[in-house]
Amino acid sequence: MTKQRQQRLFILTFLGPPLALYALFVLLPAVNAFRYSLLRWDGLGAPEWVGLGNFRKLLSGSSDFLSAIGHNLFLTFVPGVLILVLALFFAYMVHQRIWGARLFRVAFFFPNVISSVAIALLWVLIYSTTDVGLLNNLLKALGQKEPIAFTESSRLLWAIVPMSVWTATGFFMVLFLAAMENIPETYYEAAKLDGATSGRQFWHITLPLMWDVLTIGIIFLVVGGLKFFDAIWVMENGRPSPATHTMSTLMYSKVFEQYDVGHGTAIAVLLFLLVLAATLVSLRLLRRERIEY
Amino acid sequence: MGRLVHKIGGGLRYAVLAAWLVAVLFPMIWLLYTSAKSTQEIYQNPFGLPKLLTSPTAENAAALVANYRKAWVESHFSRYFLNSLEVVSLSLALILLLGSMAAYVLARFDFVGRRLIYYVFLSGLLIPMQLILIPLFFQFSDMSEGLTGLLAPPVRAMGLGDLTVSLHDSHAGLILIYVAASLPFTVFTLTGFFRTLPGEVREAAMMDGASEYRIFFSVMMPLAKPGLVTVAIFNFLGLWNEYLFGLVFLSSDHLKTLPLGLASISMQAQYKSDFGLLFAGLVIAMLPTLVVYLILQEKLTKGITAGAIKG
Repeated sequence: MTKQRQQRLFILTFLGPPLALYALFVLLPAVNAFRYSLLRWDGLGAPEWVGLGNFRKLLSGSSDFLSAIGHNLFLTFVPGVLILVLALFFAYMVHQRIWGARLFRVAFFFPNVISSVAIALLWVLIYSTTDVGLLNNLLKALGQKEPIAFTESSRLLWAIVPMSVWTATGFFMVLFLAAMENIPETYYEAAKLDGATSGRQFWHITLPLMWDVLTIGIIFLVVGGLKFFDAIWVMENGRPSPATHTMSTLMYSKVFEQYDVGHGTAIAVLLFLLVLAATLVSLRLLRRERIEY
Repeated sequence: MGRLVHKIGGGLRYAVLAAWLVAVLFPMIWLLYTSAKSTQEIYQNPFGLPKLLTSPTAENAAALVANYRKAWVESHFSRYFLNSLEVVSLSLALILLLGSMAAYVLARFDFVGRRLIYYVFLSGLLIPMQLILIPLFFQFSDMSEGLTGLLAPPVRAMGLGDLTVSLHDSHAGLILIYVAASLPFTVFTLTGFFRTLPGEVREAAMMDGASEYRIFFSVMMPLAKPGLVTVAIFNFLGLWNEYLFGLVFLSSDHLKTLPLGLASISMQAQYKSDFGLLFAGLVIAMLPTLVVYLILQEKLTKGITAGAIKG
């Protein structure tokens, strides 16, 4: 065998198996999702072609889909703004090598390594109306008479906000801290010589020079918010109401409880398109001239 | 005056950091020490320290033992734990092997279609798992039927009885999905890593007459270890905590992974108001990843840092 043929064989044997697996279990189902979204099908009988009918129905407002998108947007932006502000503040503080910086960095990240199911259950306990409820006991000590049912459907989305902020802030802090540490010290020294305050340094040096990473952070937040599933599912005991459904939980209920495969996959396709659009738009809107240093 | 304002500002900023530290750590510490209380003790004294800590006697340790025994043995947490261990470690082994094979070839060889294949892998980063979930569910049914049709006749002919293959409700099926779905991130990260390795090492090994396979396994893989560790940590955390695919593809209790088991136990525990069990279960679910994080946090932070800077 010639050297070249040997190499070709090597490439084939190394690239073949991973590519085949990826094509079979990711690309093929992704393509099939588009096909299923055009059918009326209960998953068992003969499917019926309905064209864009499923999408029309979802977007017409006669289903829970539009309110589900609203819930996703709420769960993206309300905690998202808080997370960004806190994470930037913490990263900036830790970056200044204050006393205990290492402890803050390590400890703030903790919630990110715990499973979302465990976090949701932990917060169910924190919000509990029984004697165990941490928050209601605190409120009682402050004079509140009746315990508040924080995780009731009508309040659940608001109750998830502190949980999301509690969970995600540490990750974004570490991400932003990495970007800040990559900015050469000389910029700050020059600014200090010119008498710039620490606030001015933050706005005029730190923030512009970490714009790329901030963009990535925002994309992570938006994509995560659009895909939101676990906490709603766990906190609603697998039965979300129209007041709490997100796109993902609605998709699950449509397919596995109402046996409506067409509408379920149409939701999945719209979710995909939203993730794609959000990523591309964020990249475009937030892309400034990349600053080389 | 200006200095005083500055000092107060500094103190305030410190207070915010300290408050956040308490907010992050207290709920976890609360879970930990409450899991040493009996349900009755939890009701009487939900936030104070357990009797076990205030007056450590064998009698007061009974609640702790009872809670963890109930969780680990009677509520099958040991089973869920082993299932998670099996599914995640097999997935990780395959992800690292297949991911680095593809990444190595894409990073170090030039051939027709290389860029296209790289972008095909990369496009997977934009595919939310929700998109492939439902089609996979039906694809698994078709594939199970096909495999049974293919394999059952020869097995029967060999006198080994009836064989039915099912990818539903099986660890094998879940592992296949986990591996395939983790490839885009893994290939993307490792390709970047393999590109940075020096080319001379490979040429020197070739001069010595080593085959491409040998070079990969005994020269390149060891060199790529830092990259493999980073990829392994991120995939481990993601898969150990994965919920949605497990929910759809595993239904038998004895096959459930930790997040699924925890969710179903919690429903029973809340229904029966068995808080001792619930707190112990949460601790069991939380501790493994926290320990792994504490051991590997330096490497994990470096991984995020490298990703952030490369952008």
